[in-house]
Amino acid sequence: MGKISSTLAVNDSNDKTMYELSPVSDRVAKIREKYRTTRPSICISRYRIVTEFYMENPQLQGILKRAKNFKNLCEKLPVLINEDEMIVGWQASKYRACALYPELSFGWFLDELKAGTIPERDVDPYDIDDKDAEYIFETGDFWRKECLSAKVDEYIPLGYFDAAGSGVTYFSSKNTCTSPVGHFVANFDKAMHKGFGSIKAEAEAKMAELEGVMFGDRVEKYNFYRAVSLVCDGMIGLSKRYAEECARLASVETNPVRKEELEEMADCLNWIMENPCRTFHDAIQCMYLYQIGLCLDGQQHGISFGRVDQYLGSFYEADIAADRITHEKAQELLDLFYLKVAEMNKIWPYFATLSGPGYTSGQLMTIGGVTRDGEDATNAVSFMMLQSAGRLVLHDPPQSLRIHKGTPQELWEAAIETTQIAGGVPTFENDDVIIPALMDRGLPIESARNYCLIGCVEPQSCGDEWACPGGNGTESFFNMLGAFLLAINNGQNPMPGPDGKLGGQVGLPTGYLYEMETFEEVLDATKEQMEYFVNWHISLVNTWEFIASQHMQLPLLSATIDGCMESGKDVMNGGAKYNSTGNAGIAIGNIADSLAVVKYMVYDKKLISARDLYDAIMTNWEGKEDLRQFILNEAPHYGNDNEYTDKFAKWASDVYGDAVSAATGPRCRYAPGLYPVTAHVLFGMMTAASPDGRKAGEPLSDGISPVQQMDKNGPTATLKSVSSINQRKFSNGTLLNMKFHPTALSNESGKSKLISLIQAYFALGGMEMQFNVVSGKTLRRAQEKPEEYRDLVVRIAGFSAYFVELYKASQDDIIKRTELNL
Amino acid sequence: MAKELTGKVYDIQGFSVQDGPGIRTTVFLKGCPLRCPWCHSPESQEFYTQLSWIAMRCVGLDECTKCLDACTKEAISPGKTTQHAVTQKPIRHIRIDRTICDNCGDCAKVCYRNALYMCGTDYTVEDLLSRLIKDKPFYDQSGGGVTISGGEPLSQPEFVLQLLKRLKECGIITAVDTTGYTRYEMIKRILPYTDLFLYDIKHMDSATHKTVTGVPNGPILKNAERLAKDGGKMQIRIPVIPEFNDSPESIRKTGEFCKSLGAAVTVIQLLPYHNMGVMKYQRIDDSKPVFEVEPPSDEKIQSLKELLENLGLPVTVH
Repeated sequence: MGKISSTLAVNDSNDKTMYELSPVSDRVAKIREKYRTTRPSICISRYRIVTEFYMENPQLQGILKRAKNFKNLCEKLPVLINEDEMIVGWQASKYRACALYPELSFGWFLDELKAGTIPERDVDPYDIDDKDAEYIFETGDFWRKECLSAKVDEYIPLGYFDAAGSGVTYFSSKNTCTSPVGHFVANFDKAMHKGFGSIKAEAEAKMAELEGVMFGDRVEKYNFYRAVSLVCDGMIGLSKRYAEECARLASVETNPVRKEELEEMADCLNWIMENPCRTFHDAIQCMYLYQIGLCLDGQQHGISFGRVDQYLGSFYEADIAADRITHEKAQELLDLFYLKVAEMNKIWPYFATLSGPGYTSGQLMTIGGVTRDGEDATNAVSFMMLQSAGRLVLHDPPQSLRIHKGTPQELWEAAIETTQIAGGVPTFENDDVIIPALMDRGLPIESARNYCLIGCVEPQSCGDEWACPGGNGTESFFNMLGAFLLAINNGQNPMPGPDGKLGGQVGLPTGYLYEMETFEEVLDATKEQMEYFVNWHISLVNTWEFIASQHMQLPLLSATIDGCMESGKDVMNGGAKYNSTGNAGIAIGNIADSLAVVKYMVYDKKLISARDLYDAIMTNWEGKEDLRQFILNEAPHYGNDNEYTDKFAKWASDVYGDAVSAATGPRCRYAPGLYPVTAHVLFGMMTAASPDGRKAGEPLSDGISPVQQMDKNGPTATLKSVSSINQRKFSNGTLLNMKFHPTALSNESGKSKLISLIQAYFALGGMEMQFNVVSGKTLRRAQEKPEEYRDLVVRIAGFSAYFVELYKASQDDIIKRTELNL
Repeated sequence: MAKELTGKVYDIQGFSVQDGPGIRTTVFLKGCPLRCPWCHSPESQEFYTQLSWIAMRCVGLDECTKCLDACTKEAISPGKTTQHAVTQKPIRHIRIDRTICDNCGDCAKVCYRNALYMCGTDYTVEDLLSRLIKDKPFYDQSGGGVTISGGEPLSQPEFVLQLLKRLKECGIITAVDTTGYTRYEMIKRILPYTDLFLYDIKHMDSATHKTVTGVPNGPILKNAERLAKDGGKMQIRIPVIPEFNDSPESIRKTGEFCKSLGAAVTVIQLLPYHNMGVMKYQRIDDSKPVFEVEPPSDEKIQSLKELLENLGLPVTVH
């Protein structure tokens, strides 16, 4: 048993369950220890190769530039095989180092690098070599105008300069695309079963058909196939370079066991990518290397794995049946694959780190659910995936478990056991709501049943849909509370900007709260502002997509996504069989409470005049602590199974959801969602005081959860309240985070009660649910003594992370979230 | 017109998972004839609504004196300065003179932080029912329901009876958590509407029982026997209190009694003493001495559990 595993597989109850964690191998324990103790760094290999390529090739544009850029990377990027590894592939030249993606956005990185803050950050610091930094300083300015973000800036609609600074939409008037393009899942089945050799042949056949008769839009198609052919070469070439390196290492290896392993790896890498996978090992290696390729081509941001158990199940069973592999060996391969995913990092701008802390990259994996035919999809690999997360105590990769009526009890139990160990892994997703929601947005039933989760909680059909769930790629967040504050302040943002000055007329002049004679006027004004800003918000996402579709095509993804090869179009240009674009509303708890408080205090109970309440908010409750306390403790709040407030959660989410659903992009309709990642903390910093008792700058409510500490009647009441939202409307995902005290789950009946709780919530129409099973006391101790809690995993919002690596405000937010103690 | 029947409730707890099978809502009724010194719900003991004070919520007299101003009986006066548990700042607290306070609630009305609040709310059966029925989806999914606890719920027998009847009419599974210290008629009346009794047995020696809890155990044991005979289902709860009943001898005697009740007893639950209730005493009256002992060790509880299991009883530890 490895050193780590003895402390990892903690199970403090005496209960014997069907699901038990088995110890990890010494090799896995060693690699995991290295992962947890190596400080991440920045590698400039990708940066250097891409910079030189872009500088030398200004004549190339569009998809051909992207394809040649990728192929060039595959040919030049250093090949890295670490000690003891079985699954290989990397974007950088060093262990635990991240790559840079200057062609997307770069100004922020240059500025932070110049300021010298990157290695010193309080959260997610990265080391960088002085010489490397020097190279970036010499060349970096090239990217200030060449990157996609700069290009988008040129296309900001003129009218938006007035609406920016509203605090409602994620977009400002410049540098808004700090992390564009991401949030997708490739068609891994095609990569494994068809191989890029065959895809390349198909592309070349299409090109041959078009040669000499390139009428109409065929030039564009021809270029697409040409790009696909190039990226296939790239992908195959990269695999073969790894094969060569394995063979080289094998030739100098003295340990006969490792030597054989390296030879086996060389054989695998020589075969896969070009040809259909033969074994479980082939399939895992193919999946990982394709993922590395996708990240190299686009960037590593919410690029998800999809239904891993479905891809791997048949390979596993065939290998076991043919005696090609033992279960233990297969589990070890999966462990090693998980560690490779966990080791991947991406550096974010500091402010975005506040929103997505914990070295996370959102490479979500999906488990279970139903097959395309509607049968239970659980297989041996479903359990092995939970086993890896549980026995390695890993927050990355994040995992989602799809629940349906036929989910086996054993899988339920394994999932509950896992979430106790690795907080929030897996999340629970309700097939009974998500499948109909996806059909509502236009997917046929077979594709809807084949959904996976992307990034955080965003459902998308696996392999045939370009759902663009992140909207502009960064995640296009919409602050509903911000729209409400503009509604009662005549369209002016009450929060001063970073320069300390108050913004001007950013929204519609809907009047002031104290001019509104009835509550209906408040609702009307709120609806008007929300719709106005949803429309602006969508306009900006569409602007981004217009530019991105010309400069940041994704040929490597398009090579496998159904529809692209048939239509001769890249996903960014509408080539996928099915299309959608996502959006995410936040602060549902705050807007529901604010509306309810205004109604209760001013219009129903007449406890205070509209003017006095307005003044109290505008002065951030200065001298009005009594009023604020009265509102916090005596007024109704969302989350307590109380119709008075719950109906406003439904109302506000409907206004937002309907406006988003009515909008269209260049490819398709929009799909609304209700999740914040941790943008609720970031947006909170930019949002003025609100009538629900919240002070300026405090975090907003998380996902569809009630406002922190306002749910006072326990989890069942919370679940009833959140079910008042018509979640089926939100096919881009909803997020509900609940925290349980460990004693709630300390015995078998506790676990079965938690399962019942989820089942009842799902029967009420809940879409998604995730847990932290940890006491507030433990979290506070972890804040004080981080060194003792290095492995404590908690669920933040859209992902899990090691608690001690979080930004202090995020830590406090987790502690503050109502602890469901018993 | 006769005054509508009400019950005095001091707490309603949703997602109760320790008070019977499945997901339950537990209603805690106020008032108890026993005075167990280890009681972790001291606010459950008196039958009247009481002023409670939670120091952690209070901002101190330097910031707010509204309670002082509101009290016409001069029961509230400046008290000790202590450190706030969370902010670590010194805070000038109030002192409540319980000999003067008549629980009128004027101070609680002006305390918006709910540092001062009235413990004990009167509910009609229908009002309470409408609150309890809200969680029916969770009861149905989990095989849970409503548990009526206390205090001693059977000290408000008519209210409990009517509430149970209505719960059964609504198809909700019921449980009653009782000390057993009541007239048997009360138990007999609710029996048809009670799916499960959570029945406390603390000590087999009546004299010790009376000295420590204030009442003899005769009625408790007799009622248990009669309930078993009349077909009631029981989970027996034994609080394990150091130096009171935690000797193997004491637990064995209790176990043997439970055994004599036959198939009526579905499980024995050991409830090891914990000191979570200690902080609650100062909320309602900080003048009385507080019972505090070292909680029993896990090994001790395990050995008692085995002892009972050796008698052939199914045992769980809570």
